[in-house]
Amino acid sequence: MVRVKLDGVNKRFGNVVAAENVCLNILESEFFTILGPSGCGKTTLLRIIAGLEKMDSGRIFFDDVDVTNLPPYLRHTGMVFQNYALWPHMTVFDNVAFGLKIRKISKDEINRRVKEALELVKLSGLENRYPHQLSGGQQQRVALARALVIEPRVLLLDEPLSNLDAKLRIEMRSELKSLQKRLKITTIYVTHDQDEALTLSDRIAIMNSGRILQIGSPIEIYNKPRNLYVASFIGKCTLLNGEVKDVEDGYLAVKCDDMMLWGVPVSDEFTIKIGSKVACILRPEHFKIHVSEKDNVFVGYIKHISFLGSHNEVRVKVNGNEILAIFDSDFNIDVNKPIKIAIPRDRVMILPYDNAF
Amino acid sequence: MKLTYILPLFIIFCVIWMWKIWRRHIDLFIIGLYLIPLVFFTFLFILPLSSLFLAAFFYGGKISMYWFTSIFTDTFFINFQPRTGYMFNVYGDTMYIWGLDYGVILNTIIVALMTTLFSSILGLVTAFILARYDFPGKNLFRILLYVPMLATPFVNAYVLGKLFHPTSGLINFIFYDLLHLFPYRIDLNGLVGISLAQILSYFPIVYLNVQASLINIDPSLEEQAENLGAKGFSLFRRITFPLALPGLTAGMIITFIFSMEDLSAPIGFIGYSGNPLAKKVMSYYIFQSFSEAMRGVITPETAALSLILLSFSIFGFIMIKRYVSLKTYASISRGGRWNPRVKRIYGLRLFVVYVFLISIAIFASLPQIGTILLAITDWIISGILPKNITLEYFYSLLHPSVSRSISNSLVYSFIAVLIAVFIGSSSSYSVARFKGIIPSILDILSTIPVAIPGIVLAVGYFMFFTTFFRWTFLDPLLDPAPLLILAYSFRRLPFAARSIFAGLQQVHVALEEAAMNLGASRFKSFFKIVLPLILMHLFSGAILTFVYCMSESSTSVTLGALRWDRGPITFYINQVVYGSILVGSASVGASLCVLLMSIQILAITISNYILKQRVAIYGF
Repeated sequence: MVRVKLDGVNKRFGNVVAAENVCLNILESEFFTILGPSGCGKTTLLRIIAGLEKMDSGRIFFDDVDVTNLPPYLRHTGMVFQNYALWPHMTVFDNVAFGLKIRKISKDEINRRVKEALELVKLSGLENRYPHQLSGGQQQRVALARALVIEPRVLLLDEPLSNLDAKLRIEMRSELKSLQKRLKITTIYVTHDQDEALTLSDRIAIMNSGRILQIGSPIEIYNKPRNLYVASFIGKCTLLNGEVKDVEDGYLAVKCDDMMLWGVPVSDEFTIKIGSKVACILRPEHFKIHVSEKDNVFVGYIKHISFLGSHNEVRVKVNGNEILAIFDSDFNIDVNKPIKIAIPRDRVMILPYDNAF
Repeated sequence: MKLTYILPLFIIFCVIWMWKIWRRHIDLFIIGLYLIPLVFFTFLFILPLSSLFLAAFFYGGKISMYWFTSIFTDTFFINFQPRTGYMFNVYGDTMYIWGLDYGVILNTIIVALMTTLFSSILGLVTAFILARYDFPGKNLFRILLYVPMLATPFVNAYVLGKLFHPTSGLINFIFYDLLHLFPYRIDLNGLVGISLAQILSYFPIVYLNVQASLINIDPSLEEQAENLGAKGFSLFRRITFPLALPGLTAGMIITFIFSMEDLSAPIGFIGYSGNPLAKKVMSYYIFQSFSEAMRGVITPETAALSLILLSFSIFGFIMIKRYVSLKTYASISRGGRWNPRVKRIYGLRLFVVYVFLISIAIFASLPQIGTILLAITDWIISGILPKNITLEYFYSLLHPSVSRSISNSLVYSFIAVLIAVFIGSSSSYSVARFKGIIPSILDILSTIPVAIPGIVLAVGYFMFFTTFFRWTFLDPLLDPAPLLILAYSFRRLPFAARSIFAGLQQVHVALEEAAMNLGASRFKSFFKIVLPLILMHLFSGAILTFVYCMSESSTSVTLGALRWDRGPITFYINQVVYGSILVGSASVGASLCVLLMSIQILAITISNYILKQRVAIYGF
């Protein structure tokens, strides 16, 4: 298994920036996810790593070997395409065996390894089927087996679960994760689904408009978003802009409109002084109804309630702002009624305003 | 000559250009993909036509417009006050409909416009009826409407001439002598005759293109309009017709181009009656001067006239390209993704539809029916109606000179198909897979042969290859066969290229990328993944190319005439119809046409029922 290093990768399609000075350092056996909205350049980045797309500038290393100018067929990566790209004129066996045949491996060895790979993805017995005779989930497994059978240095997955139905997707998610841990294969996973990214990854890179905005573990990304885009892309949040008025015990007092809000900076790296413009990020699940001392308290009225089964999403109008909060499903206050909600001081994330956007 | 300097410069330019691409891709497969078709088009299209330019724009050793001004001021070519010709003139009991002589250039344009107009009306109505109405026997009419497209080169017009002969023609016999429906005997010949022959064989081109457009209209578009209150003719005018317009335009322009370059109808009428007006079109004039100059030099005037003809058809081609892109025809060949809207009709409507379809099916198939009659009966000498069935003309196919032309055609077409498929796949592959200047040039070059009049190409080839390839195997004066093969492969390339392109569009790029990712080079992934997936399209394209190589006439009758033992089938048909050969009669030509038609029917059947490919005969 290899480390993958991207050094200053740039790629443009006409006026569209697909990658802007992208630097990544993916560790051995790591499950690394590139997460971003559609069109942010994440698939392009994956294709650049596979060698299917030429970059404008930058370098790529597998371990310490420069593979920048290596054609795709010499890179020895295993890619699973979004639409699986199973060859319709070949059986499951032939699809999986293709990479081995190209490598001129002996027949017995091919038979053995294809069998193993199909066992690994739980498809034994379907060797002679054609792709169109398989269900979506099965096709996805064939694509995975085809990529794994060549024992690639890196496994590249391009939204492999996006074509499956919701239930199957969650099933495949855990299978994929346990498979990856077992094989200890360096994996780069591209997705726009934040749940997938959070559950699967060792580390996540958040990407937008060709730029990497933040790299970190799922917990870091969620709890310490380094900018507003990351904060709002991962999970939901309410944003309040204000100015720092006071510092006390490591907490900052921020004046937003007429309210005074206490919170903590996301990172020590930022220098925030009294008078700095900042943005406060409030996660909806951190709100509660029972107010205790030292909490930030908001008094307003309920604008809208969405019942979502396990919980309620409540929009509370406080002065000019609308705050999103999540409460239990037994929440029973009606729309337009007044309400008092609170959020603990250490749950309010503060970002310098310049960094926020 | 100047070209001796330009040629090496051009080649050096190409090499430098190639080198730039080489450095970017460093992939021999792609280089070959670009280079081979580019060399092919350079030598079979760009350079021969450039030599036409050089000849036409030189006078007295200087660049000059002399030949063009002399053509445009000559009343032989353009004449706004026609002095000869008959249009509805009655002498005795006969009405002469030959057309008026406005000069060779204007005649050609008028004939082409008339052909296009009437073909479009007939094609549009037929397409609409067959695409939107449901009635018993619909599929039979669909098949019958393929009949007018069967190749009967030269003989088609010969048959029409015979049918419309004032005293011994079958049409006049039925409608004047028998039914007294015509007030006069009709003598339809000359320019009007040419146009009629063309309408009969070209209206199915419009019909098929419009039908393809109509089938590809998402029914919900029309349903939405109905939902908003549109119905009947207003629905047709506002929604259906505009959506079918790309197909109609493409069909119209192809018809226009084909009409301008058509040699078959003029030669057929001349062969039957020597009508002087049938000689007054550009294609025939160029053909005639080519024949006269056979062993000598082609005059600059012929070159200039060829360029004028070329410019008309290139103009048409550009119009199509602007209006209907390459992408549209790819979707046409897929077709039928949804259930098209069809309405069952009854009563009076059904009756009107039947009368229209039956009369058009019979009338449009007259050349084919007549050809078969000429081949299997003594009709050619028996007068109004055939009297005896005879196999004499089929036996004559075994005559050494006839069978040699058949084997020539088979060999030429077979090799031409191999070349066309090879060039067609490389250029289609680069068009389908890569972006950039070369793929877009290849895209244009692989469809442009449709717009190049064969007669112009023949003149260009003759000038270029006898000048720069004298005494080589490509010199047509030594042996026209190699050049004929290349001419066939160039002229029929669009059939191969289009079919392969349609196949490639259905092969997702990711299928190849997956192979490359697993270690297959581009070369290997093409042969292991792409080729098996487009094989059916490739075969179907090859079959279609073969059929149209067999019936190719313009270069066959010109270049093929340079050595008679090398002449293909169409050359032989031309010789017997035109009467410049003593062996055999037009009936021998007709039996050769029957052979061509059988090959064509066989090919379409194989393509449709065995390869399961919907064959679009002509179209964009």
